[in-house]
Amino acid sequence: METMQPSDSALISFYIAGQESAFAQLLERHKARVFTTIQLIVRNPDVAEDLLQDTFIKAIHTMQSGRYNEEGKFSSWICRIAHNLAIDCFRREKRSPLVSLDTTSHTFNSLSLADEGAEAVLTREESHARLRDLIQQLPAAQKEVLVMRHYGDMSFQEIADATGVSINTALGRMRYALINLRKKIAAQPVFYDQNLYPRDAAPVRVQRIAG
Amino acid sequence: MIKIFTQETLLRYVYNELPAKEQQEVEQALLHDADLATTCADLLQAQRTLNGLRTAPSARSTEAILQYARSFMRKN
Repeated sequence: METMQPSDSALISFYIAGQESAFAQLLERHKARVFTTIQLIVRNPDVAEDLLQDTFIKAIHTMQSGRYNEEGKFSSWICRIAHNLAIDCFRREKRSPLVSLDTTSHTFNSLSLADEGAEAVLTREESHARLRDLIQQLPAAQKEVLVMRHYGDMSFQEIADATGVSINTALGRMRYALINLRKKIAAQPVFYDQNLYPRDAAPVRVQRIAG
Repeated sequence: MIKIFTQETLLRYVYNELPAKEQQEVEQALLHDADLATTCADLLQAQRTLNGLRTAPSARSTEAILQYARSFMRKN
């Protein structure tokens, strides 16, 4: 039987009340999303690791000082902190968009070699690294919406509010981000592999309609 | 009557952001409109691909954050 997971809001209350394990649960639940958000902006795994720590330290201070606002989702809030820190860092360092992303150090962090062969894992990681590079090439406004929606778990309305545009503008940017990504993938046949864009889309359609 | 859905509406559909009534309308249309279903499938495919990029931080970073959370609580 599936056990009920406490909400983020409950975990925050428990943590503020002194329960250390509540924070550990909160961190476990959100760390990958926050880390990916940062990594897609700064493109340097070491810097991303540092900024992840800064993000959660900032969150700890806000929660423990009683300044955490219960309105809105924790996931959106923490990702917005991460996003702002990553953008600040990116602007400070003014990194070239052509710098390649070293994903090798993370290859084995999130993937289980017992489930699939090492070669398949490496091939998939290479494909993902290429896709990350393509995301970096998107216009800033499009990349921002894509990262916030996909990895920051923010709704289009929340993104619109955070970036000071209408929801239709946010949706339009997301739409063009996907169109541009697709074009970039198609323009480089070497990228067009099963790992990036599997050709058989039918099962997904059936799955979503059923859901 | 054939209802036309914008790309923006489909985007909100695949990200589960449509109100229930509109969601039902899209799902009804998907059963009868192959082009719409294909467009929607493309969006879902892109969504799934992008989800695959999610990576976890190192155990060292996670432990450092937990350590900070513990020590901060004890100080206060």
